[in-house]
Amino acid sequence: MFQSEFKKILPYSPYRSMPAEIIMVKQYTNLEKLFRLRLKKNNKDFNYMPGQFAEISMFGRGEAPISICSSPTDKGYFEITVRNVGTLTSALHNLKKGDVVGVRGPFGKGFPVENFFGNDILIVAGGLGIVPLRGLIRYIMYHRKDFGAVNILLGCRSPKDMLFNNEIGQWGRHLDILFRCTVDRADPDWQGNIGLITELIPGVNLNPMRTYAVVVGPPLMYKFVIKELLKKEIPDRQIIVSLERRMKCGLGKCGHCQINGVYVCQNGPVFKYSDIRNMEEAF
Amino acid sequence: MKKSKAKVAFFDFTDCEGCQLQIVNLNTVLLDILEHIEIVNFREAMSEPRDDYDIAVIEGSISTEHDIKRITGIRKQAKVVIALGACATIGGVNAIKNRTPLNISLMRVYKDKADKFKTIAVKPIDQVIKVDYYIHGCPVHPNEVAEVFKCLLLGKKYDVPNYPVCVECKMNENVCLYQKEQNCMGPVTRAGCNSWCVNNGNICYGCRGLIDNPANDAQNDILANYGLDVNEIIDKFTLYTAVEKKYVKEIKE
Amino acid sequence: MERYAKISKKDFNRWLESLEDHGKLYGPKKKDGRHVFRPIKDVKELDLNYISTILPPKKYYFPQKERLLKFKIKPFKTAKAIRKFEEFVLFGVHTCDIAGIQCMDVVFRQEPLDANYINRKDRMTTVGIECLTPCDKYANCVSMGNHVPKGGYDIMLTDVGNKYIIHINSAKAESILRQRSYIKKCISADRYLLDAVRKKKEKIFKEEFIGRLTELYAVFSKLYDSEIWKDVGKRCVGCGNCTAVCPTCYCFDVLDEVSLNLNDGLRYRLWNSCQMDDFAKVAGGEDFRPGRSARQRHRYYRKFKYPIDKFSRYFCTGCGRCSRTCMAEINLTETVNSLIREHRNVSIGI
Repeated sequence: MFQSEFKKILPYSPYRSMPAEIIMVKQYTNLEKLFRLRLKKNNKDFNYMPGQFAEISMFGRGEAPISICSSPTDKGYFEITVRNVGTLTSALHNLKKGDVVGVRGPFGKGFPVENFFGNDILIVAGGLGIVPLRGLIRYIMYHRKDFGAVNILLGCRSPKDMLFNNEIGQWGRHLDILFRCTVDRADPDWQGNIGLITELIPGVNLNPMRTYAVVVGPPLMYKFVIKELLKKEIPDRQIIVSLERRMKCGLGKCGHCQINGVYVCQNGPVFKYSDIRNMEEAF
Repeated sequence: MKKSKAKVAFFDFTDCEGCQLQIVNLNTVLLDILEHIEIVNFREAMSEPRDDYDIAVIEGSISTEHDIKRITGIRKQAKVVIALGACATIGGVNAIKNRTPLNISLMRVYKDKADKFKTIAVKPIDQVIKVDYYIHGCPVHPNEVAEVFKCLLLGKKYDVPNYPVCVECKMNENVCLYQKEQNCMGPVTRAGCNSWCVNNGNICYGCRGLIDNPANDAQNDILANYGLDVNEIIDKFTLYTAVEKKYVKEIKE
Repeated sequence: MERYAKISKKDFNRWLESLEDHGKLYGPKKKDGRHVFRPIKDVKELDLNYISTILPPKKYYFPQKERLLKFKIKPFKTAKAIRKFEEFVLFGVHTCDIAGIQCMDVVFRQEPLDANYINRKDRMTTVGIECLTPCDKYANCVSMGNHVPKGGYDIMLTDVGNKYIIHINSAKAESILRQRSYIKKCISADRYLLDAVRKKKEKIFKEEFIGRLTELYAVFSKLYDSEIWKDVGKRCVGCGNCTAVCPTCYCFDVLDEVSLNLNDGLRYRLWNSCQMDDFAKVAGGEDFRPGRSARQRHRYYRKFKYPIDKFSRYFCTGCGRCSRTCMAEINLTETVNSLIREHRNVSIGI
């Protein structure tokens, strides 16, 4: 009778998912599919930056944090690429055009593109690391003249594991981008490099003081790639990484994504190497 | 259009059939499940079994060569296999037999007729066939049975918790048995039962098997601190999980 | 109204009974030799003479398993899972647990606001009870500075013999005291009694840690790689009791449950713990905090280091629950004191 005078019920729940329709599905490899999504409610825009992630839901199956792989310059939709590894992702793989999924987000901090403008960019992508970086690459391509030299190094297991192969062909043909690719295991048609991605770094001609290196890949890769980048004298504040964790809430509460004192879902997933180099739990 | 219902058959191997009884104990929930499935073979609850099943629910452990043949045949026909209860999922109480050489076990049970019987070391069924769903427990908990059937019908995996019973026990705010000077296998036993036994004044016997990465050394120290000798500790660890011989060995060392 | 009032013990149950107008009453009650917070149906069940309850009162504003969302799979639909949040009175809370409430507030009132938490908390009236004697060998409330009331409640009760002194700390408090003739104004003699109680407490409550909190921060900054964590990890059985009973642990998991029509369901959050094997694992199976010693260290750092950097607040309340509940007898006070000792030895070069 009296307390209700004090506080109204907060109607807003940060756990509520927005419906998004799948408008295109593209299978890249045996394990990976790209989904193009559009929010259903009044064509509301999904305002994000490359490097951010969304919590994707299928009710009854659960929810998982998934990197956005498109760029905000792609208007009217956003894209995610999903590897079939668990309960939710295998169910996602069964979805078709016209199906609806739940979306929360975007969450986290994306790539600091505001720092990148006017500078050279070296992108190092290993395995699934290309997924968030593809959004960044598309963003850079769109604003190409605002950046200096752009180098892209891509490593994957074998040619048939390569994601976005249709676009990668184009990157290679762009005159204003240096694109190099390496695989662990080649097939007979492969004409690129064979070997570790770290082996490509010494051959890149760069000006360390004006280069931002952006590295995304499996946990093991960071240590070796960063070592090579530091050898090239790129300052550690100009080395940008994105870390994978299992963010359950995206709100800095549930604790799963914590690295020492920071929450990846809020302080990351994109970090300056200088900010996390001393955190033991980072890599 | 009405979807045709999945056909389910129940089979038992070496067990007490108590877990099948738990299925009957589902009461009205069973009726809800029967909206989606049709039971074609269930010895404990029906009289005219058929053999046109898609889903096999298997109770009991494997303890004879004949069991192996029979269960392999079931797996061939079934699209989905559910292991029902501790005997099927982890070997269960039957596996205590594995702690002694087989011929001695036979002698103990059959005395002078021992040579007339054949036996093999007790195995949980996944040591013989592929299992799609596990329902742990001795007996199984009705809620978990319902949950597994839901997952099956939705076509998704059922994730058995990989944390210890203590987690659920604390959420239920039970007084810890160790504080009552009793001991309990809760700290290393896989949860999912909602600390059923402790809620009802019992200890945890470990019927759901050990979690993936149990702190056996720490548990051993705790039990020893509470006054148990090595053999009592081994008994604790092997009442249900004697199949996993390595634990016995680790503790002895 | 004055900031202090008083109630005679003979009128106490009368007051308790009158609280039912203000929502459901929860308070400490006996269970199997321990105490637990439970709904109080008969005021005689309430037992204010208790050592910390098994679970802290966090279960009332951050329940073990809580509905977040209602959904339909097809067609896609979501709705509020909880329509009504009820008023309730949390009665007889120790000052350590009130410190815990303050810590949780700091976390859940941060943007983005956690609607469930805030909706519950906004409907909670907190009535504290001051401890007059140290509870047992496990608590470390004096070192954490939480053995005396420091706000965070609506009402604080202090037993001064045949009556309780009531500290009124909110407008809500006034409304559960007003129009009750047996609740009287304090006179100066009552204030004197209160001061005397506090003076006496100063003598019998001793600091449990061998160092002050300022030193502690330096200790935790330096001893991340200490061997002490290895020892703690070796003894830890990984049961997660320490985090479940902690008034400032709030990690959780999110899961869906579907009803038997296979279309309607609920999304829940469920208490989870950094001590669990799968807690820091990612989809590919990589575990970013493997091993029990790293996990135990993480727990301590979430009490004694990270929240100080983030919120300028220690997240250990000193309630002693983690040590009391640990069957491996990992004792927080002992761990902290060994860390302090090691730090001192390192500093002087031993």
